[in-house]
Amino acid sequence: MTKEIKEKIHIAKSGARLYTTNPYFSLRALADAADIEIDTIYKYFTNRRSILEFYYESIMIEYQESTQNIEGYLDFTLSEKLSNLALTLIDLMAEYKEFVRQTYKPFVVCNSRNQAFNQAFKVQLKIIYENDPHQSRLSTVFHTDLLYKAGLTNFHLLIRFWLNDESPANQKTMELVDKWTSFVQEVHYTAVIDKGFEFAKYIFYNSPLNPYGATSKNNSDE
Amino acid sequence: MQPLKTILMSDFPSSKYDRGKIFAKTGIKVGANYARHYLKTILGSTNKQNSAFYNQTAQEIFSEFTKLRGTALKIAQSLSIDQGFLPDEFSEVMTQAQYSVPPINRALVRSIIKQELGKFPEQLFDSFDANAVAAASIGQVHKAILKDGRKVAVKIQYPGVRDTITSDLGLAKTLFKRFVKNKAELENYFDEIETTLRLETDYIHEGRTIDRFYSRLADPQIDIPKWIEDYSTERVLTMTYLEGEHLKEFLARDPSQVEKNRYGQLLWDFFHEQILQFDEIHADTHPGNFLMTTDNKLGVIDFGCVKKFPNDFFRDYLLLLPTHLNRDIKEIIDLYKRLDVLKSNPEDDPVERKYFEFCINYGYTFAMPYESNSFDFGDPEYKELIRGYTRNAPLGNEIRGNKHFIYSTRVHLGLYHFLMKLGAEINTSKSREIVATAIKEFDFISISIKKSPGNYPGFDD
Repeated sequence: MTKEIKEKIHIAKSGARLYTTNPYFSLRALADAADIEIDTIYKYFTNRRSILEFYYESIMIEYQESTQNIEGYLDFTLSEKLSNLALTLIDLMAEYKEFVRQTYKPFVVCNSRNQAFNQAFKVQLKIIYENDPHQSRLSTVFHTDLLYKAGLTNFHLLIRFWLNDESPANQKTMELVDKWTSFVQEVHYTAVIDKGFEFAKYIFYNSPLNPYGATSKNNSDE
Repeated sequence: MQPLKTILMSDFPSSKYDRGKIFAKTGIKVGANYARHYLKTILGSTNKQNSAFYNQTAQEIFSEFTKLRGTALKIAQSLSIDQGFLPDEFSEVMTQAQYSVPPINRALVRSIIKQELGKFPEQLFDSFDANAVAAASIGQVHKAILKDGRKVAVKIQYPGVRDTITSDLGLAKTLFKRFVKNKAELENYFDEIETTLRLETDYIHEGRTIDRFYSRLADPQIDIPKWIEDYSTERVLTMTYLEGEHLKEFLARDPSQVEKNRYGQLLWDFFHEQILQFDEIHADTHPGNFLMTTDNKLGVIDFGCVKKFPNDFFRDYLLLLPTHLNRDIKEIIDLYKRLDVLKSNPEDDPVERKYFEFCINYGYTFAMPYESNSFDFGDPEYKELIRGYTRNAPLGNEIRGNKHFIYSTRVHLGLYHFLMKLGAEINTSKSREIVATAIKEFDFISISIKKSPGNYPGFDD
């Protein structure tokens, strides 16, 4: 992580912390809270909103950074990688839960001007799905933007669930993530559709009712 | 792809409905297996086929119980200790329940550590192995290295495991209540189990217990981990890592009789030393909780279940040993009454007589190792004797015995079964003295017992 990125993250987090006490804080107050010069803030951001929006981008950067350091991450299953994405983001947001409660919807879910977090999330989903070698052949057909959009929507719903989760150490959220990702994995790993497709193909080409079939017979005649 | 499937956390059902469903499913599976087996028996099956049947059924039960984790799996562990109830194939499979449950999703482990200790494992430790080295009923253990270079074991509690205590015990209680006459006693038993299980899920409590046992019992021959308090919470427990082999691995490399006797003696002395200290007793004598360490020590690694028995109960429990060896019938009947095993004189009541006859013979068998200066736990006849009594226990529709028997028997039976598996010959002379000393001390310190100290030949000599 570069010095500039670290500085930007520091400013965004200080802003998120300040927001919960005063949503209309001045940049001077932020500079004081973050213990930096106000010019440093202007170097990276144009206004208060851009700082707060960057908070969500920053947790995605931190997720990428931390995932690189996980021993044996490449051996993780699809379910574990998806769980890691969801839970790491939630764990990073946990320190700023009140800020997330107040801003997640306007800054992330319903923000048509800045889609940086949503885009980054979908990119991460794409990386996870496209690099998992255990999926069935047919499931790879569904690796489209629709799948990643659905994943993002699920994540938004998960955040809503987590914000209302009062179980000790967010155990209910953990269980939900686990059940959700396990289901997704089961769908993507199952060979039933592959086998069914092969079976149907065989029947199609070898059925006596198929006018174009009996290829094996023709082949053997040759 | 199968191994991938087994590590899914989704296999952990937390709701009462999910857990009840698994109990029912297991029952149906086992029932179907037995029906098949019964048909084969009619057609004439061999011992080999019987063994394969038991093994298959046990594997299926184990596979379902490991999904439940939590309290239900604890029951499976108890069954693996009290081997007499089960065929060998069952016990072997159930023994796995202690440390080879499929581990949970590795991303969850990471998140639990972040939530409990405030940082991700890669930030906290110099190295953290995401793959669990052991996974049991309540939590799983990961190997890690602290920033200061110390090797540690990090025990992570499964999410929602505390909820399973209430739901599983509730389910078990409902079942038992249908055929147990003395329901109030049943409540006492369940309260005792619930209290102990709740403590087992409090890792701070376990950490403090580790500290106490370390200062009490760690010596040049007994290795006990050190608790790392800064890296522990109620759901994460960090302690120094002990390298070694479990009993199964130890036996697999065909050790000499001298080695077996040495480790057996260490375990025997470890337990009797605890009696003499009149303090907490390690109450989970399961092979999974002991290690033959790389530096030839006996390692004790799990302190979740420890008990401090009330003085009057403990004194009476210890008294069972000399009184059975002496065959002092009057004293034995008095003891059984005090320990709630008998309700009235066995001469006057055939039901009481049935319990009495069973208990006195079983009690004598149990006290046999203390009769002379050494005892060979590897003697197959002794193993058969113990198994025979356990199998032929008079099962009625009422609960007998003080509630503290649950754990005192678990300690003692677990110790015997460990030594029988190990095939160790034990010098018991010192332990006889310890029991006699402890009884005298209890007589001295206990004001609730008015009886004067007795003379117990064979123990006092």
